[in-house]
Amino acid sequence: MAAAPGALRRALPSIRSAIVQVHPQNKSQLTRLFSTSLPSQRLDSSSSSSSSSTPEYAIPDPSRPTHFGFETVTEGEKRERVAGVFTSVAESYDRMNDLMSFGWHRVWKDHFVASLNPGFSPLTAGPDPRGSQHILDIAGGTGDIAFRMLHTAHVLNNNPSVRVTMSDINRAMLTVGKQRASALPASQQAALSFVEANAEDLTRTRPLQPLSDAEKATTKHAFFDPATATSSIPSNSVDLYTVAFGIRNFSNIPAALREARRVLKPGGVFACLEFSKADKHPLFNALYKEWSFRAIPLIGQLVAADRDSYQYLVESIERFPSQEEFRDMIVDAGFVVAGDGYEDLTGGVAAIHKGMKPRA
Amino acid sequence: MPCPGTLSVLSAGSAATSTATATATSRLVLLLPLRRPGAVFSASRSTIAFPSRETSPFVNRDKPTAIARSITTSTSTTTRFPRRHLPHTHQHHHVVRRQYHSHDHPPPPGPFTPAESALLGAAYTHVAAQGFSREALALGARDAGLLDISPSLLLGGSDGGVFALIWWHLYTQRNALAAKAAALFASEIDGSPGGSKDATAATPSLGGIGGGIRTVSERVEMLAWARLQGNDEAGVVGRLQEALAVMAQPSYVPASLKELALLADEILYLAGDVSVDPSWYTKRASLSAIYAAAELFMTTDQSPGFRETRAFLRRRLNEAAEVGSAVRSAGEWLGFTASAAVNVLRSKGVRI
Repeated sequence: MAAAPGALRRALPSIRSAIVQVHPQNKSQLTRLFSTSLPSQRLDSSSSSSSSSTPEYAIPDPSRPTHFGFETVTEGEKRERVAGVFTSVAESYDRMNDLMSFGWHRVWKDHFVASLNPGFSPLTAGPDPRGSQHILDIAGGTGDIAFRMLHTAHVLNNNPSVRVTMSDINRAMLTVGKQRASALPASQQAALSFVEANAEDLTRTRPLQPLSDAEKATTKHAFFDPATATSSIPSNSVDLYTVAFGIRNFSNIPAALREARRVLKPGGVFACLEFSKADKHPLFNALYKEWSFRAIPLIGQLVAADRDSYQYLVESIERFPSQEEFRDMIVDAGFVVAGDGYEDLTGGVAAIHKGMKPRA
Repeated sequence: MPCPGTLSVLSAGSAATSTATATATSRLVLLLPLRRPGAVFSASRSTIAFPSRETSPFVNRDKPTAIARSITTSTSTTTRFPRRHLPHTHQHHHVVRRQYHSHDHPPPPGPFTPAESALLGAAYTHVAAQGFSREALALGARDAGLLDISPSLLLGGSDGGVFALIWWHLYTQRNALAAKAAALFASEIDGSPGGSKDATAATPSLGGIGGGIRTVSERVEMLAWARLQGNDEAGVVGRLQEALAVMAQPSYVPASLKELALLADEILYLAGDVSVDPSWYTKRASLSAIYAAAELFMTTDQSPGFRETRAFLRRRLNEAAEVGSAVRSAGEWLGFTASAAVNVLRSKGVRI
């Protein structure tokens, strides 16, 4: 593993065991150190947060500290390391998901897509005169969400005009997605496009150039370089922005949320499926933590021959903000929410967050 | 008015007019624990504040408790939010959620965010034609200038916000009751119809005379009927069956029952019920059951003006009152007989 860093191998066994038993108060200190969380006290004077001024923490800065699992790295470094992790797991990603979650991630994804119901148009009013739906699946990876979206829109809702764009920063993952897409019906393949992009800056993208076999040998060319961009995603062009199990890997989450708000049409929906906190059920949480910190790296070692990458996965889940904190980040980026703004799945192991870009 | 230290006592529902009553009430209040978990302690008020005669009892409220449960002391603020609270947005987080009912504060914000309210309010106008469905939600989103995808913002499982629309119906109809009550009871004696009868309110009596002061049970019947008429006015009677089917789904049962309990509480509160004994619970339980039955009856009622539903409602309420008085009579008889038996035994020298 060229990109698997030596630092990961020092994977903090002592801290790991401490985390498993740590008290919630201490843990919240651990999870709120760097740029993925908001400054704890926002001034009320910024109540027009939806307007133009972007706070400093939401501007990507490659030298700002953030976290990579339990380590502290710079944003630029995190981007490269995440690219390394996902390049090395791309081929075995789907099999590993099944093993790690007992196949339950399929239920979550089905529920996520069913609750969004893409492609639905009222029968009495007919199709939307304002143009067909465009769905942008960020961190689309191997296509689990995008293919479900297409099925729901084209087959269940009988709306073949819905287009889906799969985007990922990682060419290796997107290449796997493109290979899997060849099993779809031709009409669905025609509605699907692949884009390499960094979710923090969607003005610089390029259509997927699949990773060749020669390139697969090295992780060097795996992630998208903005300097090679040839196209962009315009503002107010997307109906539905989805990101499933991806946002915790972003170097700068506030920047990505602001970019999501930019590309969405007014009334467009931001939907995020992500691992979250099961703190509300202490006993279940203890079991879950045991499983994720002990079993998952082991499975990764045995099945994917890559312990470090899966160690990173569980650490990044631990570091991700809680449901309420992440909801507040979404609101802070200028979205409006309904109710609590999130829905827990399986006791909070995963959660769906939704926000809508309000009409200007 | 006597001021018991830094305590301030808020009496809900009853307009205590004499100092004697006030003292009695504050003594009652002092029996309750001073610091209930979750209560909000505010530093701003330290005076006794009883609702005066000009205070209208028709104040909307969301967190009902029995009479005089609210205690504020001059300590620092502690707040425990209930499970479903509004997100920390800049627009609407200034109102602190109270755990008790107060006439002196505005009601807490409802369960819907502004964006949700706009969407559901627009969709509600399509329910009569489209039912509680995704169709109505999507049409409402278009009316509100949003996209077809916008209703997927609503949470609540894979039905795409249909339960949120039903909840909106229940919530807005319940909130509308306060204004209806004010209109219905405006003809009664000026001042506080709820508080003027605190002595007799706990024992519902039947057969009051129309025009004068109505009894609590008469008002309950009028308000329950007003609520049922609300279904008709909104044009959703034909859609109630599908709404009930959704509400009966296991994941929505708790929220639906909660809303039913809140409705029963609202009706009894607006009717001026001030009971502080176990009948507080039995009244709400029986009214919930009766209202649910009447609404079910309404879904199949073909009579003009739903008069069969109203007759059904009256019969059920009368039955409940009869059963209630029978139970009370039996209880009184048993209590009297038991104490008499004890006294007879004591008179015979038994050491009891």
